[in-house]
Amino acid sequence: MSNAAPFSTRRPTDWATPAMQSRVRRRYRAERRFRLLGLAAVTLSGAFLLFLLGSMLLRGAGGFLETRVAMPIDFARASLDVDPRRLQGRAADLALAGAGLEGAVDDAAVAAFGPDLGGRILSDGAWLRVREAIKDDPSVLSRRVVMSLPVASPIDVAAKGPGSVEAEAVVASLRSGDLLSTGLNREFLLSADSTDPTRAGIWGALKGSILTMLVTLLLAFPIGLLAALYLEEYAPKNRWTDLIEVSINNLAAVPSIIFGLLGLALFLGTFGLPRSAPLVGGLTLALLTMPVIVIASRNAIKAVPPSIRDAALGVGASPIQVVFHHVLPLALPGILTGTIIGMARALGETAPLLMIGMRAFIAAPPDGITDPATVLPVQVFLWSDEVGRGFVEKTSAAIVVLLVFLLAMNALAIHLRNRFETRW
Amino acid sequence: MTGPALLLLLAGLAFVGWLSARARAVAFRAPKRRFSSLPGHHAWYVALWTILPPLAFLGVWSLVSPALVTDAVLATPAAAQLPPPGFERASILSEARELAQGDAFGAFQPLARALEPAYAAAQARYDWIATAVALLLALAGGGWAYTRVRPGFAARTRTERIVMGLLLAASLVAIMTTIGIVVSLIWEAGRFFARVPAADFLFGTHWSPQVIDPRDPGASLGALPLFWGTFFIGAVIAMAVALPFGLMSAIYLTQYATPRVRSWVKPMLEVLAGVPTVVYGYFAALTVAPYVRDFAVGIGVETASSESALVAGSVMGIMIIPFISSLADDALAAVPASMRDGSLAMGATPSETISRVLLPAALPGVVGGVLLAVSRAIGETMIVVMAASGVANLTLNPFESTTTVTRQIVDLLTGEAEFDSPKTLAAFALGLTLFVITFLLNMIALSVVRRYREAYE
Repeated sequence: MSNAAPFSTRRPTDWATPAMQSRVRRRYRAERRFRLLGLAAVTLSGAFLLFLLGSMLLRGAGGFLETRVAMPIDFARASLDVDPRRLQGRAADLALAGAGLEGAVDDAAVAAFGPDLGGRILSDGAWLRVREAIKDDPSVLSRRVVMSLPVASPIDVAAKGPGSVEAEAVVASLRSGDLLSTGLNREFLLSADSTDPTRAGIWGALKGSILTMLVTLLLAFPIGLLAALYLEEYAPKNRWTDLIEVSINNLAAVPSIIFGLLGLALFLGTFGLPRSAPLVGGLTLALLTMPVIVIASRNAIKAVPPSIRDAALGVGASPIQVVFHHVLPLALPGILTGTIIGMARALGETAPLLMIGMRAFIAAPPDGITDPATVLPVQVFLWSDEVGRGFVEKTSAAIVVLLVFLLAMNALAIHLRNRFETRW
Repeated sequence: MTGPALLLLLAGLAFVGWLSARARAVAFRAPKRRFSSLPGHHAWYVALWTILPPLAFLGVWSLVSPALVTDAVLATPAAAQLPPPGFERASILSEARELAQGDAFGAFQPLARALEPAYAAAQARYDWIATAVALLLALAGGGWAYTRVRPGFAARTRTERIVMGLLLAASLVAIMTTIGIVVSLIWEAGRFFARVPAADFLFGTHWSPQVIDPRDPGASLGALPLFWGTFFIGAVIAMAVALPFGLMSAIYLTQYATPRVRSWVKPMLEVLAGVPTVVYGYFAALTVAPYVRDFAVGIGVETASSESALVAGSVMGIMIIPFISSLADDALAAVPASMRDGSLAMGATPSETISRVLLPAALPGVVGGVLLAVSRAIGETMIVVMAASGVANLTLNPFESTTTVTRQIVDLLTGEAEFDSPKTLAAFALGLTLFVITFLLNMIALSVVRRYREAYE
């Protein structure tokens, strides 16, 4: 070892020199910059989300409220031809409609606010409130009462925020008389679409969504689950299986509007199913959701360890029994999570439903899966197209309802995942 | 008989079959003898044979019976006054159908009222036939299966074979859907290309489907501006927003963030991904568009539109952020830890490790993810329907109005046009183009991602 050459003739770096120290500082600065950039990206993404949700909530809050004006109605002097004995049960609506109640309410408005303002201050649906009040307490028919009735859309808009100059003046004069009040708009949650923003509600669209989702779930869940079981547990490795896998992976990435075109050409064009029906919407969305459920289910099934299968086979279970008695129960939480996420996606889907005609104006909630209907996201789209300013807050309020449903479904899925997730 | 009642009855029959087969199988069980099947297997065998044949029949029947009913109505004498096939004829028929089913109370068309009895009669007749055939099939299937319930019969094998068939059939639905999409798009697009030369459609630069000259429909159906608008909004502007944000979020979350932060931020990104696109569209049209327009006018762009490509593209980019982030996350996680550890051990800072070691190693995965994101962005519909313009415009200026393929499909199909006008068929030609492009993008992306994953495994 006498003539061992030095490994390197280079002298060790002297980190204390100013040049080296500034180099290290520069590298650390770059490090901090990079890190801040990452933090900024995450923060800004979060800010986008907060801004989006916040602006919808702020705009939408007004949609759940209505402005009411206090107005005296003198039923004793109004020429209402109503037999008080008929005001019981289901005949009451007919009796009151025939008695000219709508005209009486309009006359009372003119009497209270003058011929000019009286004709346009009340919402078209105001007399329906009066009808309900009479049904609750028929004795008002012989008295003069002060009722709080919903105002027409322009005045409602002006009362909640900036409106037209004219309506602002009306609101100011009503406010000075302390006649305006605000209350929960029950019609918004309980009625269907209307051309008058103060009477438009989301129940029709919500019911359409529920019926559509029901059809989707009943078709996509069993088919998706069985397909996933087959592909993961039984499918032989051959060209057919590859073809199925490729088409499922590809279907999961096909734009949703293409499914709408398929629904239009196949279900409406070839099979002649009714337009705008939840049945067709559900069928189309089932085709769209099925690949999502298959992929999620396969991952859940794959996560079940082979030892479970080997043990079951070892004690004499048949392949079907292995899967249905052992693998499926263990994979079910994961499968359900995937299904809920797929259903949430279907619930927010709009474009394919536009293709199959679920964009018509429908003023009555659907009674069955073949009735014409619309769904919540399409209702949002339709209202966003309306010119009336009163629809702005209705649109945002409908979005809030839609988001509440979606967040609830996602929260349920995350909860299921955390609660039942097993690490083998 | 109505649908739900019939289904309940069939389920009841299957249950009766299940019970009786089980009772019979239990009866012939004897001690000290080995059987190939448990009583439950026999029971399921009979139940499946009772319910599956009528269900299969009803499935097919529900698809063909509306056409049969219409044919029967058209054969009646009252139908002779119907106008020739077209929009008017279809509306009379659908009104008559609604009257017959009790969905409508009055008809605008007197002819619909005349056709109502014929509709009701045909409907009732075919419903009766369907019920009878379904019940016959159930009884025949169940009865035949019941006669086979014997000690030596391998019910377990048979039942499992039926179940296996069901599994296979379920997985074939995916292939059927793909075939359905391809065939229906090609069929309708083929009718379109029979009238409009493909070259005019693919390379023409003038798009105005509102006024189509019947002698030369191709002159106003040149889709090049749409392809450009789609590419500009979906692949350029949206990616310019989504790529930096998505990639940097993924890097921060996987490399820097503490597990606590990660457990909060990841669900937040998932929420961003779960917001319906119609909400993004409304947000873009109502909140973002006025700002962008004012800004553009402020910096001196005279032609600025409130339906600009920039608005739709940037909001679409926000929508894509979580998508890119989660795919980049996967790609970074797939890089072996030894590469990262080696780089850090040599004295590189984390940011140098990320940008010189991790990102180059993860590049194929990231590229695959970006391709998937592009395919998703160009197929996105609601944002462009609500925030982009309907006027085709071949421009490079992001503040000007631009339209996309998906927007035009929606516009073309929501008019009251009859089903086989060039306008309606053009939507299918656009759909076919969109399908082919997204299919190619997906295939390339998936194969890139797969090859890259195999390289490290």
